[in-house]
Amino acid sequence: MTTPLVQLIGVTKTLRGQEQPRPILTGVDLTLHSGESVAILGRSGSGKSTLLSLIGLFDRPDGGQYLLDGQDITRISDGKAAALRSAQFGFVFQRFFLLKHLTAAQNVAMALVNGQGWLPRRQRREKVLAALDQVGIAHLAKHRPARLSGGEQQRVAIARALVREPRIILADEPTGALDTETGNLVVDVLRATTERGCALVLVTHDPDHAARMGRVLRLRDGVLHPETVPALSGAPTGPVGALPDRGGGLTHVPRHARPAENEEVRA
Amino acid sequence: MIRLSGRLRSAVIIGLQGIRARKTRTLLSMISLFLGVLSVTVVQGASQMAQRAALADIELIQGIDGTLVMSVMGTPEAAKATLRSLEDRTDAVAVTDFRAIIGEPNVRPVNEGGSPFDEQWGGWGWSGGVRIECDPTGYCYEVIDEQYLQTPVGAAIELRVVGLSGDIRQFRPFRLVTGEWLDFSTDPSYSPGLVLNREAAKGFERYRVPAEMRIMGAAKNPTPRILGVVEDGNPLPTAYVRLDEMLNWVDVDAPADPYYGGINLEVYTQPTATETLQILRANLAAVGVGEEQLYVRVIDSRKQVEQMMLILRLVFFGMAGLVLLIGVAGILNVTLATVGERVEEFALRRAVGTPRLLLAGIVLAETMITGLFTAAAAIGFAALVFQVAGPILAEIHYSLGAGPFPWEAALAGVIAGLIAGLLGGLIPAVRAARIPIASVMRA
Repeated sequence: MTTPLVQLIGVTKTLRGQEQPRPILTGVDLTLHSGESVAILGRSGSGKSTLLSLIGLFDRPDGGQYLLDGQDITRISDGKAAALRSAQFGFVFQRFFLLKHLTAAQNVAMALVNGQGWLPRRQRREKVLAALDQVGIAHLAKHRPARLSGGEQQRVAIARALVREPRIILADEPTGALDTETGNLVVDVLRATTERGCALVLVTHDPDHAARMGRVLRLRDGVLHPETVPALSGAPTGPVGALPDRGGGLTHVPRHARPAENEEVRA
Repeated sequence: MIRLSGRLRSAVIIGLQGIRARKTRTLLSMISLFLGVLSVTVVQGASQMAQRAALADIELIQGIDGTLVMSVMGTPEAAKATLRSLEDRTDAVAVTDFRAIIGEPNVRPVNEGGSPFDEQWGGWGWSGGVRIECDPTGYCYEVIDEQYLQTPVGAAIELRVVGLSGDIRQFRPFRLVTGEWLDFSTDPSYSPGLVLNREAAKGFERYRVPAEMRIMGAAKNPTPRILGVVEDGNPLPTAYVRLDEMLNWVDVDAPADPYYGGINLEVYTQPTATETLQILRANLAAVGVGEEQLYVRVIDSRKQVEQMMLILRLVFFGMAGLVLLIGVAGILNVTLATVGERVEEFALRRAVGTPRLLLAGIVLAETMITGLFTAAAAIGFAALVFQVAGPILAEIHYSLGAGPFPWEAALAGVIAGLIAGLLGGLIPAVRAARIPIASVMRA
């Protein structure tokens, strides 16, 4: 039996600062292994994002235990949490949070220029192009967000999450701002990351997207419950050139679609 | 160290990206800071120039910093020993004063006592109105020469004549105004060559006087030649002459000065002239002048000027500091507003692993780089003004228009820019570091 990548044991969290403290998580148990994908469903306000912020070390639980690779990190310091977020986690949000004054490549490089180690510009550029290539938009490396569609912007955000080769991807309603077809493409890209051993936690309201994960859990009354989701209602993603197939394998991006070898991509 | 370097580089890269993204705001910050940094640069530049001017004047009169000045007072033997010691030495120069009247004989000079030509300080006593008489017991006293007082004022100029055993300009950097300086490489002439200072030149320009020089203590009156004019910082009419040319007319053994008697020498030496000093001390000891009779001082003009300038500089820097503070308030205001608008960006950066310290560093990098840009603009502007105003300032004082833009002013501008950036960015930096990471989840 391998050590789980993430293990939450009886985790609780109460929101304070309001008139009445409001318990959000009352005893969450969750085990996540490398290469596993989990969807978390739940009503708005049920605590899905709070749970994600605890897993992603944005916040600390009030009670219970959080083990990462078997190490107890429940009360980890701010500095160590930042280092772990940089090395182990990749985040994808509903809003893409791309900085409009930066190009796609520079937005992706943001995760590399974060004070956690230093990479020379050349290596940075290689990694950024590889990440953009992975999500099929290497040819858009020099474009600013304003010139990208919603789906392309979300793929830049995913490339940003992937660029440090994280072990866990946390995606908080990544398709919420996208149409169904583009949403499907984004989920495909995310699912593909599990093929290389990355664990994926997807918070979503969409049962179709949830159904394409390995496991589906529903957060209800502050506790996670296993959920059975009906078979997929939609067709698999359409034939979009540079996107993964249903099997999760990443489609090769044609060479001509990438920036020329000698073309400068600032990262 | 590598970690720090990585964070520093990250802060600078992200800071520059931020500046590029918000050019108008950066420009606003720079405008608010410009006057403050400019005032610091100008105050520092002006004080450097004032110091340079004051130092130039003091160096002319007292000597360059580090020069050793030894006073040899005493017997004619001491004077002879000193002059013998300095023969063929270029690192030491002996100096002595003579009083002289150039012009008609048997008249009182137009500037009795050697006073400046536009002022009358009196001093007929020095010019011959008082003579010293000694009784057989050796007691000396002043006697007023009534006959002299009856003498009319005529075409004669009284001045101080400074005899030099070598080129004094290595210690006192006189500036040649016209003509030429003394040539020590030739044989001494019986017609002493004089180099006048500006005040003496003014007298010779204003009054036509015969070329006969009466030197106190000399038996005969030589005919001088005027070689040139120098700026020596001295307001009194003075002439410089080769000491050996003067000694053709004045006997070292005879009292040249009715008050002090004998030739009193001052020896200017370079701080490195240890061998010359050793020889001089040994020769003086041989004629009975002990170490206790030698007074040696080291010229420290800079310290003297700095003390003079300190209060002035403090007052002006205080005023410049106030202007800079207003600039700091401006950059603080703009940066606070910017941080308020960038909550999501900072939260996102924390989400991808950026430590709080680096977030603060990014804001500080932006404000400090803005401060540096402002400093560059202010220094450039000040240097331009300096270039334009240089010729005008040179008319006020020769040293003001000379030389390059003071580097100390540029340094002060850079420091002021950095400090203003640091102060203006400190509170916004703390605020940025405190932005909760959850802001990105709630958005």
